Amino acid sequence: MIQLYNVYKTYNNTPALVDISFIIKKGAFVFVTGPSGAGKSTLLKLLYRWENYDRGQVLVNGTNVGKIKFNRLWKLRRKIGVVFQDYKLLQRKTILENVAFVLEIVGADKKTIRFKAWEALKNVGLSHKKDAYPMELSGGEQQRVAIARALVNNPKILLADEPTGNLDPELASEILHLFEQANNEGTTVVFATHSQIILQEGNHAVITLKQGKIVDTRVVV
Amino acid sequence: MRTLKTTITNIKSNKQLFFASVGTITIALSILGLFLFVYINLNSVLSFWNDQVQLIVYLEDEVSMHEKKKLEKMVSSHSEVESFDFVSREKAWKNFQAMFSEKSAFLKGMGFNPLPASFNLKIKPTPNRLEKIRTLAEQMKQLPGVESVEYGEEWISRFEGFIILMRVFLLALGALLSLGAVLIISNTVKLSISSRKDEIELMLLSGGTPGFIQLPFFLEGILHGLLGAVVSLALMKSIHLYVVNQFQGAIETFGRSMDFQFIPFPLIMTIVMASILVGWLGSFFSLHQFLGVYKKL
Repeated sequence: MIQLYNVYKTYNNTPALVDISFIIKKGAFVFVTGPSGAGKSTLLKLLYRWENYDRGQVLVNGTNVGKIKFNRLWKLRRKIGVVFQDYKLLQRKTILENVAFVLEIVGADKKTIRFKAWEALKNVGLSHKKDAYPMELSGGEQQRVAIARALVNNPKILLADEPTGNLDPELASEILHLFEQANNEGTTVVFATHSQIILQEGNHAVITLKQGKIVDTRVVV
Repeated sequence: MRTLKTTITNIKSNKQLFFASVGTITIALSILGLFLFVYINLNSVLSFWNDQVQLIVYLEDEVSMHEKKKLEKMVSSHSEVESFDFVSREKAWKNFQAMFSEKSAFLKGMGFNPLPASFNLKIKPTPNRLEKIRTLAEQMKQLPGVESVEYGEEWISRFEGFIILMRVFLLALGALLSLGAVLIISNTVKLSISSRKDEIELMLLSGGTPGFIQLPFFLEGILHGLLGAVVSLALMKSIHLYVVNQFQGAIETFGRSMDFQFIPFPLIMTIVMASILVGWLGSFFSLHQFLGVYKKL
């Protein structure tokens, strides 16, 4: 599903990723960990082509993402759901509208939008707050909305960039459980975190980065 | 439908800026329109005068009957001549006397008739009428028995020169004001884009097609242009009606068949289309600049 071969990325001559190679199979759950500035976010950004790499190859679902033209990137991104540490919820919209927005973007019809958005909120336990605005929710709830939004289009891949970074351990564990649930339903999950508690709680494969290099991997049998 | 909804939401959230921008375009177009209005009417004055232009062929005093007959034959059979009058020396003198009757004492004191006989030629109305008069005048000048020809060439040429200058001025003004309008619209749309930066990023992240993302902003730019054009044309029409009400009487004494003209329909359509194009260009530039950042990533 995701293949990286000798990938290099630099920012103003500072190496961000150095000779990164790995393969993540379809339906896998993989943690990417490492200290701040290790290159976790950069690695994820390469997968949905928010950033491009300097050398090597990144294949997502068999497509060389580095070669996709800007006007065609939407095809790649519709297969990928992304969850951010800062949630990226639209403050002017209700949480139902926030989730529905992604369905509007892909051109779903009104009936489907209403049904799927509501169902996605129900799956993260927030259907009763559908008319609330993001500001009126707690951090954990906002992150659940972000997950619902990332999953509403049934993406093949779910990427999460420190989704529990702002949450206390109990909430973090709850959020991890939502990702595992999505994984159980067949979504490939790449979860970037620096939290050891999360890593220990979830028994999944781990890629450890340090200064842009892979320094350790844990494979789950 | 969604695009229109998004566009309206965009405009609502930047209401003041939108109206300020439309207002500026209206003013720019109105300035252009006023000059156009003046130009069109001057042009119609020119064509009115053009219609009045006669080619007067003055004959030598010693013209022979044979020469006169030959000239008459040539004039009457010429394809460009619609009609002609022969004014004899005596008739010319009588006309002159009638015209200046208050100076009759002085005229009576003149012991001779100084006026030449003439053919007054009316030329068929064709688009290049003036050019044809010019050619015919040149031909006539060469003929035996013709003393001189006259058709007010100098002032017509001068007036034509002025009209050409006005045309160049209008084009330059139009180009300059359009450039200004593009910049204004581009800035307004840029602010509209900035205020929705998060939304656009989310669209990019969630697989929104470039068309889906850009269309509402294109529409916003186009609306700027369209509204600016419509408001300024309405303004121009009111000015036109006011001028007609106030000054139609005055212009009728000047030329009975003349009236103040409004900008003709094809030109109105051109103004509207050009304004829409300007609006589209403004949003195109700001979108190009904004999305350029993401293209480079």
